[in-house]
Amino acid sequence: MSDSEATAAEAPEVSTPESQDASPAGTPDSSSEITPDTSTDVAPTRKARRRPEPKPAAEVEEKPKVEEQPTKTPSESTVSQGGWGYWGSWGKSILSTATATVATVGQGLTNVIEKAETSLGIPSPTELSAQVEEEEKELGESVHHTDLIFFICEADKVAADGSAAVGSAMGMLTSLTSVVQSTGKTVITGGLDALEFIGKKTMDVIAEGDPGFKKTKGLMIRNATLSQVLREAKEREELQTAETAESDSEKKVVAHYGMLFDEFQGLSHLEALEILSRDSESKVKSVLTTLSGEELVQLRDELELIKDAFSLVEFDDEEVDEKKDEDGSEFERELTEALEGLSVSATAEKLSKVLTPHFCVLDQIPVLQITDITNPEEEEGEEDAKKTLSVEEVHAAAIRSLAELTARSIELFHKLAEMILFSNGSTEASVLSQLTVVLCKEISLLSKKFTSCLTTAGSNEKGDVLNPLITGVFLEASNSASYIQDAFQLLMPILEISHIQRRSESTEQ
Amino acid sequence: MHAERQTDRQTAVRATDRQTGSSQVMEAIWLYQFRLIVIGDSTVGKSCLIRRFTEGRFAQVSDPTVGVDFFSRLVEIEPGKRIKLQIWDTAGQERFRSITRAYYRNSVGGLLLFDITNRRSFQNVHDWLEEARSHVQPHSIVFLLVGHKCDLEAQRQVTRQEAEKLAGAYGMRYVETSARDAINVEHAFTELTRDIFALVRSGDITIQEGWEGVKSGFVPNVVHSSEEVTKSDRRCLC
Repeated sequence: MSDSEATAAEAPEVSTPESQDASPAGTPDSSSEITPDTSTDVAPTRKARRRPEPKPAAEVEEKPKVEEQPTKTPSESTVSQGGWGYWGSWGKSILSTATATVATVGQGLTNVIEKAETSLGIPSPTELSAQVEEEEKELGESVHHTDLIFFICEADKVAADGSAAVGSAMGMLTSLTSVVQSTGKTVITGGLDALEFIGKKTMDVIAEGDPGFKKTKGLMIRNATLSQVLREAKEREELQTAETAESDSEKKVVAHYGMLFDEFQGLSHLEALEILSRDSESKVKSVLTTLSGEELVQLRDELELIKDAFSLVEFDDEEVDEKKDEDGSEFERELTEALEGLSVSATAEKLSKVLTPHFCVLDQIPVLQITDITNPEEEEGEEDAKKTLSVEEVHAAAIRSLAELTARSIELFHKLAEMILFSNGSTEASVLSQLTVVLCKEISLLSKKFTSCLTTAGSNEKGDVLNPLITGVFLEASNSASYIQDAFQLLMPILEISHIQRRSESTEQ
Repeated sequence: MHAERQTDRQTAVRATDRQTGSSQVMEAIWLYQFRLIVIGDSTVGKSCLIRRFTEGRFAQVSDPTVGVDFFSRLVEIEPGKRIKLQIWDTAGQERFRSITRAYYRNSVGGLLLFDITNRRSFQNVHDWLEEARSHVQPHSIVFLLVGHKCDLEAQRQVTRQEAEKLAGAYGMRYVETSARDAINVEHAFTELTRDIFALVRSGDITIQEGWEGVKSGFVPNVVHSSEEVTKSDRRCLC
């Protein structure tokens, strides 16, 4: 296991140390050469602030073994869904790990490059970068968005009839379908890897830029709150599930991220956090309208400091090394550290309790890995699924863990918001951002662990079964990080109003 | 008590049973989702009552709730008709009041708890009701008055008669429950759910955009003819 893990994590960096150190996936850098508004030194700041933007992607369904899907008409299945196109610097190395195929997308999905690499399906960053660059040059003006990268996953054979075959993973994508419309693609195959071994290309990485960060951000705000978007996704999954329930012909382990996220009460906590955030925001506004002159200027300046703290966060994925934290203790330590910095008194206990279930999730991972590695070797017959975990099961566990960790993180932020609001202590935004970084790193780590686990468990599987599952895990990991970062942003008005309250209390005394 | 537990088993489709894929399928099939809020003085047993209902167990020790916590469960009000209850468990402590206030407005119904062994908590029922009603505006909210800890008969400070009288004055039902002995827990939640369901069916409560109190679920056509779903879906009084 550790071998393949190591390969998964290191392959991209090792292969091209000189040219792509800063950016394993190559996309953000290379694209910035084309679109001037995303120079590299500005990008990290922006990334941390950006809300995830739903982008359309081909709708995907979990049905690796079923070629036809009678319940859906082609027109239904081609409906594009918005993808959470958030891959900040956070996503870079994950991306390079995940990337079996790469695609760039313009105003329409005009080109797809697929590229695969040995054994783990990882293209070298140089290749990726070169292709992306090439593609973007070809696309010319049509490529407006540059530093957004997201996956569209689909299986070729299903792509024929317009529906695609990766998990409900993609169910999270929603609403802003008008931003990018899928119109076509060119597929180039390559590589000697597991993917080609099967002869199927299943993962497309869509690199997409973001010209008008403001524009898309505006779209986002106008259209939906995060919880609305997530709720819609969950509802769609439920509908899907309900439909599947009708035809009980296929009984499969299908992990629906949105439904699981809701099951862990992530949606509720997010909604409650949004309520508090909105209320605080309007309170801040009304306070500002009552002030004038120097008082107003001074308060504005103070609030600006808080805002700055929320925009300077950089989620650097470079350090995320799956070897570093085998048992989750590192995460626990970092988390404790981050929480210690919070001056919300007497609540540490409550908070660690919130996260306890997550540690349980983490604990399962080594177990999964061991099971996966030992059993397939012992048994000659691949068909015997009873004793080994099937790739679908590992995938389901991965999606479940991601959904749970994300839900718990949102819960943590919600609880923090409540405590900040009722306690008088001051809370440093930097501590909250550190917490966000720790959580996002954990998401990244989790996805890497699970995908290497998947790779091992699926060594006998066909690529068109395995690869969509792997893509699905990385996709949801990316989504998870977006949700966490969004929840973090929701804390800003709460810190602002807390600051104002403390301020007025001190002047009264 | 035994009878109660049997009913528990028969009617409950446990939301907490999430280990199997089939439970996910079952969970996806519900007619409506109702959001309920549970309020009342600190230490009257709100969280314990909800945990008994959603998790089927009684926690001897329980930390005070911070802000709000969430639980959910499916309830079958008629054969084949499942309602998903999303329960917001609020903090009873006064210091959280300013926060919990913000949470009222998206609830269609709620349980208002007092502790039958704590007269003070009964006297506060009126305030709680006022608080809730003023914060759910412009929506209305259906409350059920719950006299909790009815297993502690010896320490009773509030008679059933006066509680029923108070409930009647505000147009609420009254139920006495015990989370410890699992008395009337199912009954309290299902009664409230049925009442809300009747109001939804009659059109007195409608599904509205931007309001989370009542949500329509996805019902496979094969399972239900579900005329009431389509009916109330389309109607909007606003």
